[in-house]
Amino acid sequence: MNKITIRGVGKTFRVRGEGRPFAALSGIDLDVRAGEFLTLVGPSGCGKSTLLDLIAGLTAPTSGTLHLDGRPINGPGLDRGVVFQQYALFPWRTALGNIEFGLEAKAVPGKERAERARHFLELVGLGGFADRYPHELSGGMRQRVAIARSLAFDPEVLLMDEPFAALDAQTRESLQEELLSIWEKTGKTIVFITHGIDEAVYLGQRVAIMTSRPGRIKQIIDVAFDSRAGDLRAEPRFGEYRHHIWTLLRDEVAAARRDEVLSVG
Amino acid sequence: MADNQGTALAPVEEFPGDVHWYDLPDDDADPEEADEPSDTRFRRILRKTRSLLGRSAAVALLLAIWEILPRTGIVDRVFLPPLSEVVGAGYDLIVSGELGEHVGASLGRSLAGFVLAIVTVIPLGLLIGWYQPVADFLTPLLELFRNTSAVALLPVFTLILGLGETAKITFVLYACAWPILLNTISGVKTVDPLLIKSARSMGLGPLRLFQKVILPAAVPTIFTGIRLAGAYSILVLLFAEMVGAKAGLGYLINAAQFNFRIPDMYAGILTISLLGLLFNQLLVTLERRFSTWRTT
Ligand SMILES: Nc1ncnc2c1ncn2[C@@H]1O[C@H](COP(=O)(O)OP(=O)(O)O)[C@@H](O)[C@H]1O
Ligand SMILES: [Mg+2]
Repeated sequence: MNKITIRGVGKTFRVRGEGRPFAALSGIDLDVRAGEFLTLVGPSGCGKSTLLDLIAGLTAPTSGTLHLDGRPINGPGLDRGVVFQQYALFPWRTALGNIEFGLEAKAVPGKERAERARHFLELVGLGGFADRYPHELSGGMRQRVAIARSLAFDPEVLLMDEPFAALDAQTRESLQEELLSIWEKTGKTIVFITHGIDEAVYLGQRVAIMTSRPGRIKQIIDVAFDSRAGDLRAEPRFGEYRHHIWTLLRDEVAAARRDEVLSVG
Repeated sequence: MADNQGTALAPVEEFPGDVHWYDLPDDDADPEEADEPSDTRFRRILRKTRSLLGRSAAVALLLAIWEILPRTGIVDRVFLPPLSEVVGAGYDLIVSGELGEHVGASLGRSLAGFVLAIVTVIPLGLLIGWYQPVADFLTPLLELFRNTSAVALLPVFTLILGLGETAKITFVLYACAWPILLNTISGVKTVDPLLIKSARSMGLGPLRLFQKVILPAAVPTIFTGIRLAGAYSILVLLFAEMVGAKAGLGYLINAAQFNFRIPDMYAGILTISLLGLLFNQLLVTLERRFSTWRTT
């Protein structure tokens, strides 16, 4: 069963001072299954964030169609939650207040709102930090609050744009584990953008690889392990997946470089 | 949907998110709230007292010089009476009730102009910052007036509105309007686009976006404008009170100089400085309260 259906989606931007439009995406076909964890990798600038914005309904495609549960996506909504790399927490609100933000948007009544926000703060392990402002929290804690905020209004789909890219390795690994455990508990559909191949293999049930700009889906790889116990990253299978994806990406990264050099020169 | 919410809210047996040492906040994230043992508290009070003394040393030195120079005859004490004489004159003015009357008149005008500026200009600034068509329409006009000194316009205000209170208050309002207006506009325009994007992704429409994101994000910047306006409200009023006023500190200073009551003149000047200092301190405290979340 498909949660999100993307057909022939293209997106062009009009760049100031340039005659012809700038194609960021072209001919994207992608199905995201209900309840799956899909990771999306691609060279920098290939249009990953642009694709996520389209699914979030923050922008409209230039061509093609996007459907969520069979209904066309024509704007943002609380059925999808977005987690950004730079956390995007409201600095004038406490951790709890930030989580309540989405609940206010959903018009959840006051008392229930606070209870629910507290529950999700505890879910991400920050029960004791309810009254902290974002600037009083570390990067990892901020991202946890952001994840809790998106979970709290109970979207069916979680859209994550390189959420752990700005964190140090240890914090990143612990958040990856937490995210997997939250995903298993809640059964959300997750679309997770990353530029880390390891992260893509570790988290994704499927890894979608994008071409260089204008981005298309180059290939989708199913990732399955016999067991996730122990150090998954040390498994031979893990290395095979990683190498395979790396080979696929290498050509695209080289193409992206060439494109960059050409457009600068 | 309701079903779905139920599962998400179900109690969680084990929390996946244990806090590890490496995601605890940085030490420098929050230096003031750290609990400290009582002996360091004593040391902190000592340190604060010392820094206060250090900061007031220059002022104390100036006051001492003010006392000594006229007394030793290096400066003519007719034109610069020693500080003690000025303080004495100020004391007499307070006792006779004259000073209170002038301070009352000045404060009334300053506050009236200041408050009117806040009330009228913040909405205008929000409108200009938020609606591009309004900004496009008004910006050339604003640029023109912004570069016209308020003091240059004082004769115009007097000409049109007469010598009474209306002209003086309008003049203060005009001078206060600029810092508030420019800060409000920039406060609205410089809201982090990512916050707007994040709020939009949660389905907020333009009105709620404005109320829940733009406005709170702009508050600290607006407050900076208000603080600047507070200082202006007292500074520029003096000009207005030097023409055709019958009360007020500006009038006192001017009249004292005219009648050669030099100590009274200095007492008036001192009062205005203290008043400005107090008002600014009050606004700085308020500003801090409203922008605790700002880290910069
Ligand atoms: N609003 C925009 N206007 C013009 N160009 C844009 C805009 N957003 C993205 N782009 C361009 O589209 C391309 C894809 O961007 P993006 O989706 O952010 O890439 P990625 O997230 O994969 O690094 C980039 O070359 C970027 O410069
Ligand atoms: Mg991106």
